[in-house]
Amino acid sequence: MLERYLTAASTYAHWIDYQFLLIAVLVGFWLIVAEGMMFWLIFKFRARDGRATQYITGEETHLKRWITIPHILVILCDIVIIVPAILVWYNIKQVMPPADETVRVIGQQWAWSFQQAGPDGVMDTADDIRTVGELHVKVNTTYHFELMSRDVVHSFAVPSFRLKQDALPGRTISGWFRPNRVGSYDIQCTQMCGIGHGLMAGRIIVETPQDHAAWLLHNSTPAVAGQQALPSPSTVGMDGLATMAEVRR
Amino acid sequence: MHKFQKSALYRIASRSLRLPLALVIGGLALSGCRMGATDAATRGQEVFETCVPCHNSDGSGNAAVGAPNIAGMKAWYVEREVDKFRAGVRGMHFNDVEGMRMRPMVLSLASEEDVKAVAHYVETLPPVPHGSSFPGDPKAGAALYATCGACHGDTGAGNQDLGAPRIAGVDDWYLATELRKFRSGVRGTNPKDREGRLMRPMARTLANEDAIRNVVAYVETLKP
Repeated sequence: MLERYLTAASTYAHWIDYQFLLIAVLVGFWLIVAEGMMFWLIFKFRARDGRATQYITGEETHLKRWITIPHILVILCDIVIIVPAILVWYNIKQVMPPADETVRVIGQQWAWSFQQAGPDGVMDTADDIRTVGELHVKVNTTYHFELMSRDVVHSFAVPSFRLKQDALPGRTISGWFRPNRVGSYDIQCTQMCGIGHGLMAGRIIVETPQDHAAWLLHNSTPAVAGQQALPSPSTVGMDGLATMAEVRR
Repeated sequence: MHKFQKSALYRIASRSLRLPLALVIGGLALSGCRMGATDAATRGQEVFETCVPCHNSDGSGNAAVGAPNIAGMKAWYVEREVDKFRAGVRGMHFNDVEGMRMRPMVLSLASEEDVKAVAHYVETLPPVPHGSSFPGDPKAGAALYATCGACHGDTGAGNQDLGAPRIAGVDDWYLATELRKFRSGVRGTNPKDREGRLMRPMARTLANEDAIRNVVAYVETLKP
């Protein structure tokens, strides 16, 4: 249902959507019942000439029932929400399916940059491809990501993948996604990270295997790669990130 | 008609609220519009507010966030570099940390007119000299500067015809940072960066870190 409003382009997007729908339906049901009841009671017991106000303590069993029965029902609904929520959390955040590819995602004020293996398929080698603001991935391929921050807390969010993960300076946070629909999707930062936070955007391009192979080949040629990266492979990885302190030495 | 709509309260409210409601709605609609009568100088100052968080209100910069001292920089140079950031010619290298920070900010400038206005405003800011932030040997740097002087001039005043900006009076940490970027290819490798591609081989004539520090120490002795 949510897919009608926001494309679902990863294998776990529909799990998140079902969870949202479940929460929206159950919480929405109780919202309508509670508000309806409140307005009905306000109307029914409005001030009228000749009718005295009653003092109700709410201690009698037949009155307490109006609290306890909805209370038990709400708790039951909570359980109905929490059980699948734990399953979704476990399957997305706690379990990592075997990776076909790995990408490094680096947040900084105010840009996303990416590093992935070149045609040799091995990360942290000379043919690695480094890009800024644009991540190219292959459809129906399981990606593990290593998420880092160069400065402050950021959050790597791809709404169409239903993916959102905070990036913390000094830590490498792992996660995964498996894109299942070819297209170009937004990347956003969803953690306030400074004055340029609202401008910290990027794109994730999901390509067919053929298009992705062509992109890899083009971007790993020395002429193109030279515009993206330092010549030394020692610059990759967290230790090699060109922080401002390193650049200024 | 409903009983409420016939009431005196409804009639009074509907008449007296018409004008305030129209004003509120109109005001909200116009609040997103820019006033057209603003002159270029005022507009430049307004646009410069985007730069203030990093470069400070006097343009003196902030080394802690890698924002250089831009007070008094020539408008032609500011405009050219801002255009490069806007076009992705600068600020798109994987290791250009400061450039990647700068690029989204210039992308928030609405138009070419705004770029020109802010560039001219920057030129009007009085230069703010800073002291040296690291040691170097100006005497040794003087010999190395001969290469730089060919374009930037003997006094470091720059040469617009050659596309070389003023470097006299520019903070030493910024000059050293950019020289390292040119040497390593973080700057000056984009095919569309004409001036950067000219600068890169010049920066590579500096053999090592000492050479960078020395030539920058010499530049710091030049009067802007």
